[in-house]
Amino acid sequence: MSDQPLFSVRNPWFRTSVGITVVIAVLSAIAGLIWLPLAQPNLKLAGVWDAICSAAGVPRAALQEAAVKPDFKTSNVVMTSEMLTKVNQVSIGRGATLAQRCAICHGPQGVSDAHSPNLAGQFAAVTYKELNDFKTSARVNVVMSPFAAAMSDQDMKDVAAYYAYLPRVPSNNLDTRRPAPAVVVTGAPMRNIPPCGSCHGDIDNKAGSPWLGGQSAVYIKAQLEAFASGARRNDISQQMRNIARQMTPEEIDQVAHYYEAQP
Amino acid sequence: MASETDHSLGEAVAARVERRWATLSIIIVGLLVGMAAYIGIHQATMPQGRVETADPKTLHLSGEFIESNLGSEMQADGSVTVRAIGQQYSFTPQCIVVPAEMPITFRATSADVVHGFLIEGTNVNTMLVPGYVTDLPVRFKAAGDHVMPCQEFCGIGHQGMWGKVKVIDKAAFRDLAAAKRRLTCVD
Ligand SMILES: [Cu+2]
Repeated sequence: MSDQPLFSVRNPWFRTSVGITVVIAVLSAIAGLIWLPLAQPNLKLAGVWDAICSAAGVPRAALQEAAVKPDFKTSNVVMTSEMLTKVNQVSIGRGATLAQRCAICHGPQGVSDAHSPNLAGQFAAVTYKELNDFKTSARVNVVMSPFAAAMSDQDMKDVAAYYAYLPRVPSNNLDTRRPAPAVVVTGAPMRNIPPCGSCHGDIDNKAGSPWLGGQSAVYIKAQLEAFASGARRNDISQQMRNIARQMTPEEIDQVAHYYEAQP
Repeated sequence: MASETDHSLGEAVAARVERRWATLSIIIVGLLVGMAAYIGIHQATMPQGRVETADPKTLHLSGEFIESNLGSEMQADGSVTVRAIGQQYSFTPQCIVVPAEMPITFRATSADVVHGFLIEGTNVNTMLVPGYVTDLPVRFKAAGDHVMPCQEFCGIGHQGMWGKVKVIDKAAFRDLAAAKRRLTCVD
């Protein structure tokens, strides 16, 4: 065994192997960080430093090019799954007072037979979003729009909190033995329709999707038709229009009556 | 115990074997680097050149992913930019229309969880990650219809999530683009 040190520039093995490794590393870095990025014309790089940064994955905000603005109002609600999920007694109390003016259509307990939506037990985020959309005219209704226009942001949160606090009341058409239509349980994957239950609560809940159990069939049907025709467009990024467009009139009918019969 | 001659003979053999293995390893490393460079340039794989961010919660408020800006846009340089989003459980626009034999850039992102972006019959297969913009250069060889299923499990309604890509003739696309600034084939 020689007493020559292993890790030393005087060891030719060490010198050569480290040298070759360094050369490969440098060449690969030049190829990967400079040459390859610059060889992609669609990247529109500003120079060598830009090439290195982009290849190394330095994040930057997407360029703000002139976007085509909508010719109608879209919802401006920022929806998150945590939105208005904390129970606040003061808010509920204020909401109870404010909700008195809603009772004519939505019932003193948040339930009515007037084909206006039942609000008792509705997710607070949903009630808040719809009120806000009425206020900004993203959703339009002759009766609701003037009411919402007069409400402050806090008013809308309070009313939403109050209705979320009220217990759900089954409708007069409650029939839990009614079989669930296929579109509710499995959707229609061949037509780009996910199950209604994957967002509206029976299977899973997507933030902003209302609880539909006990809602008036007339109301559900009218809304699905409005989404399908594009008369209603306050669903963020078309999430409901995409689905309603694909549904057949029979499916809309089945779904409306099924949800009406649910608790 | 080995003699002095035996030892130096053994050392020479070891050095030769060592040198051959080193040469082979270097050739393999060089070949792999070269392969990566070749497919990088010819885009057999399509590594994304830039990391761009976009807030998934506010896509609908401003920026390039607002509803009215989604779809195909004819650019001044003769290329086409397609903007789309994936969300639980659909793509918007639901039907994407693009020309054949023209350079196309897909720009897409997710409004909630990770979704897949795959166009059947092509080598387009990537992911839409919330917070980041997926930017993908594509060229379709011929007119035809493709399905675009979400290929990343994104929740309980995942199986219902897919879109359509309609590749049409170049001239027909130009006519459409002359009449409207953002094109889709949603009916
Ligand atoms: Cu998905």
